[in-house]
Amino acid sequence: MDELDLLKKDWNKESSKKKLSVADIYPMLRKKSSSIVKTLFYISIAEFIFWILVNSMPYFTSDEYKQRLEQVYHNDQALTIITIISYAIILLFVYLLYKSYKSISVTDNAKKLMESILKTRKVIRYYVLYNLIVAGLSLIIGFYYAMHYNPEISSKFSDFTDTQTLKAISIMVVVTVVFVLVIWLFYKLIYGLLLKRLNRNYKELKELEV
Amino acid sequence: MNPALEHSFVELLEKHQNIVHKVCRLYTNNYDAHNDLFQEITIQLWKAYPKFRGDAKFSTWMYRVGLNTAITLYRKSKRSIKTQDYAGVEFKIKAEDYDDTEEQQLKTLYKAVHKLNDIEKALVFLYLEDKDYKEISETLGISSVNARVKMNRIKTKLKTILNP
Repeated sequence: MDELDLLKKDWNKESSKKKLSVADIYPMLRKKSSSIVKTLFYISIAEFIFWILVNSMPYFTSDEYKQRLEQVYHNDQALTIITIISYAIILLFVYLLYKSYKSISVTDNAKKLMESILKTRKVIRYYVLYNLIVAGLSLIIGFYYAMHYNPEISSKFSDFTDTQTLKAISIMVVVTVVFVLVIWLFYKLIYGLLLKRLNRNYKELKELEV
Repeated sequence: MNPALEHSFVELLEKHQNIVHKVCRLYTNNYDAHNDLFQEITIQLWKAYPKFRGDAKFSTWMYRVGLNTAITLYRKSKRSIKTQDYAGVEFKIKAEDYDDTEEQQLKTLYKAVHKLNDIEKALVFLYLEDKDYKEISETLGISSVNARVKMNRIKTKLKTILNP
C-alpha cells in the first residue's frame, strides 16, 4: 500500500478530535490579525510618515534652513514647484499602495495571492528608492552649495590644493554613498526577514511551472 | 458588525472546524502554534466572509483561505515557542488504538510529512482530503499536470525519507 494511503486512513479517523464550541469561536473574531499583510501595511505607513517628516521637518522647524533654501533656489517659485512635485509624487505612491493593498485577496489562489503581496512590496521598494535618490541628490547638492555659497567653507576651499580638493570631494561622495547604503541595507533586512518565507514558497511554485 | 452574519459564520466554522484543525496540524509543531494559526485562519475567514457568496461550498472556500493563511499570510507569533513535539503527544494519547507496527509506521510518516516544505505540505493536505488534481491546481495556482507531477515527486521523496 502507498504510504500516503496509509496516512489517509488515519487522517480521516482523526477528525472530530478537537472540538471548539460556538462560544469558543466568538471571541476569536475580535482578535487582531498578525498576518504579514498587516505588518507590511504598518511598515509602509511608518515609512510614509518617516520620509515626509525627514523631508519637511527642517523646513518647518528652522527658519535659518528655510532662508538658506530660499537663497539656494533664489526665488520662492522654484521652491514651491519642487514642493508641489514632491507631494504629488507622495500622493501618487499612496494611491498605488492603496490600489495594490486592495488587490490582495485571501480567496485568490496561492500563487496569485503571493504575487499581489510581492507587487505591494515593489511599490514600497520604489518609494524607498525614490526617497534614497532624493536624499542622495540633496546631500550632493548641499555639499556643492556649501562649497560655493557658504563663506566660511568656500574660503577654506579656495586655500585647498588640487589634491586636497579631490580628497574633500571623495570624502563627501563616500559619506553620501555610505549613508544611502546603510538605509538600503536596513530595508533589505526588514523586508528580507518579513518576506523570507513568502519568497521561498513563491519560488517553489514558480519552479513547478518551468 | 452584523450579528446575523456573525452568527451564521460562527455556526458554519464550528461545523467545519476540522478542516482548519487539519491545516494547523500539518503546519505547526505544538499546541501553542496550532492555536495561534487557528486564530489567524479564523480572522482571515471572518474578514473574507462578507464576500463569500455561497456559490462555492463553504468547505471548499475554507480550504483555500486556510492554506493561503498557513503558506503565505501567517507570521509565526512570539507566543508559539516550540514546547513539545506535536506528533509525540498525539501518539501517546492514541497508543492503545493501534497495534505497534502500524502506530510506529504512522508516527514515522507524520514526521516525514512534517519535513516537507510548505508547498509540498499543501499538496499532501489536499490529497489526503481527497481533492482531485483540478481542485489542487486551482487552489495553488498551478496546472493540473504540474500538480500531478509534483505529487508523484512527493511520494518518491516520502519513500526516501522513510527508507533512507
